[in-house]
Amino acid sequence: METLLRLTVANMKGLVRDRAALFWTFFFPIMFVLLFGVLFSGSGDSKVSVGFVDEDGESAVSTQIRQQFESIPILTVQVGSLEDEKAAMQRGDVSAVIVVPKGLAAAIAAKQPLALQLYTDPSKTQTTQVVQGAATQIANGFNLGLAGGSTILGIDQQSLASTNISTVAYLVPSILAMALMQLGVFAAVPLVQQREKGILKRMGATPLARWKLVASNILLRMVVAAVDTVLILGVGIAVFHIQIVGNLAVAAGFVFLGAGAFLALGFMLASFLKTEEQATGVVQVVQMPLMFLSGIFFPFDFMPEFLRSVARLLPLTYLGDGLRQSMVNGTQIAPIALDAAILAGWLVVCLAVSARSFRWE
Amino acid sequence: MTESGEPVIRVSDLRKFYGDVKAVDGVSFEVGKGEVFGMLGPNGAGKTTTIEILEGLREPDSGKVEVFGMDVTRHAPSIKQRIGVQLQSVSLYPRLTVTELLDLFGSFFEHHLPTKQLIDAVDLGERAGARSMDLSGGQQQRLSIALALVNDPELIFLDEPTTGLDPQARRSLWELVKGLQGRGKSVMLTTHYMEEAAELCDRVAIMDHGHILEMGTVPELIGRRFKERAVFFDTSSKLESEKLARLAGVTRASQEDGQTVLYSANVAGTIGDLLALADSMDAEPRNLGIRQATLEDVFLDLTGRALRD
Repeated sequence: METLLRLTVANMKGLVRDRAALFWTFFFPIMFVLLFGVLFSGSGDSKVSVGFVDEDGESAVSTQIRQQFESIPILTVQVGSLEDEKAAMQRGDVSAVIVVPKGLAAAIAAKQPLALQLYTDPSKTQTTQVVQGAATQIANGFNLGLAGGSTILGIDQQSLASTNISTVAYLVPSILAMALMQLGVFAAVPLVQQREKGILKRMGATPLARWKLVASNILLRMVVAAVDTVLILGVGIAVFHIQIVGNLAVAAGFVFLGAGAFLALGFMLASFLKTEEQATGVVQVVQMPLMFLSGIFFPFDFMPEFLRSVARLLPLTYLGDGLRQSMVNGTQIAPIALDAAILAGWLVVCLAVSARSFRWE
Repeated sequence: MTESGEPVIRVSDLRKFYGDVKAVDGVSFEVGKGEVFGMLGPNGAGKTTTIEILEGLREPDSGKVEVFGMDVTRHAPSIKQRIGVQLQSVSLYPRLTVTELLDLFGSFFEHHLPTKQLIDAVDLGERAGARSMDLSGGQQQRLSIALALVNDPELIFLDEPTTGLDPQARRSLWELVKGLQGRGKSVMLTTHYMEEAAELCDRVAIMDHGHILEMGTVPELIGRRFKERAVFFDTSSKLESEKLARLAGVTRASQEDGQTVLYSANVAGTIGDLLALADSMDAEPRNLGIRQATLEDVFLDLTGRALRD
């Protein structure tokens, strides 16, 4: 155990003292977040569209509530059935849905408490706050006027993921996916370098077990993956106020599964590459198409059909999808379990090939 | 200087082929405890393959290879605890310091020497905090020896320890190896420098094309082939070899690098005759000298080739 830790620390020092590696591993993804964040954060709509569902049959009360929502300048209100409006929200046409429940007029007359239903997307902090604020204000006004301050009209808020998450919130998991892919694939370079320089062979002449050499490499990359995740999400949250919703344990699982799958790919590349120059070149040849054909930076639906079929073959597509689903409730390309299964498949296949083909000298 | 007792290395009929290339083709030798044993030969002779099999880095195709009386393929882990290895031209983690590397390698072994002691042993005290990439060639080589000594090994393998070093760095490394022997360590080294083998080794094996051609102490190897001494001078066209071969005491005449070498059992007679012949031909044997035959002559005689790097 001591040996394993020392080896990992040694590898870590090697990484931290290598300015170029440091840049690509930690600063490059952050620059990506900042750059994309600045480029896209300004492009949001200034108006917020909400769907309005009147299940109280256009009673005097429900009409009054609708008029009050319509009088708020920042809101654009469209009226429809619950089914239509929820679908519109999932498509991204409206940011929230307000439902006036059946029997509201009667309930108010009888001073029975009843709640407005509010569907919002927690990943969209700003619009959620706007709609929530408006609803609270209207409900309070009603309660004051009608019931002398006691709460009759309440608000029942529910989460509903909307497709049209903000561009930055869409991109942050993508950039994380890119960083995890790069840290895995780029791991091929130091491995090939250590073999070319005879470092692996020299270690082979000591009693050090080979599995410890492999394990220390994995450990190092997982630490880097964790640091990258914290940095990228941290910048996303601190600078662009993206909201992380969803299951954090699942998200963490995807971070490590993704890092593992691409590290296995890196090991596999290192098995077939002989010189450091070769490795540096091939790693770029592998990571560039992964980056641009995986659809991590463009919504899947915007891609032409042939590109979509290419993207469906690439593991990065599924890492991006899994991270997006587990972090910001983003668009689903595949069910989250399928995302995980495909990444695990890559991991197993690449590791098996590496175990067969890796040369220590 | 070979001590009695169980040999630390015992190799018999070792073979290792790579496809059609017979890298090691039936090699047998033993190295005694406390002995410095050298393998001498040109690049590609099979020295490195042999030494790497002994270090447990390669598997032999056939033959018996024992270190400390244990089979190298079956007992590699316990052998590795007790040997020190310096590989040919290895560079280490470039961004770790001398101290960090020694600490790291120490952690690979059950027992290891204090890092400070190792640094002092190879005289790297002033560079203890320097990254290995910033060391000079000689310093890197000394670091690599220190790493080989990290587990206080009983047997140390040095593969071409001085290749690429300047004469001063080479000298200082020789002192280090002599110090090891002084402390009762056994050493097996490979080299293609005759001078190094003659300076350091108790016994030498001359290797070429995967075979050991000759083995013994340096005086033995020379004495076995050369009873004569060598008279040499710059080759001159006026002094024809047939005539030279007939001079008093000359057993053989040869040309090496612009020099004529006459192997003579009667040096005084040969030189007298040579000067008389030169006088009659109106020539002068420039840079005339006499020397003992060397390992170089032995190698030349064995292979018909000069052993140069």
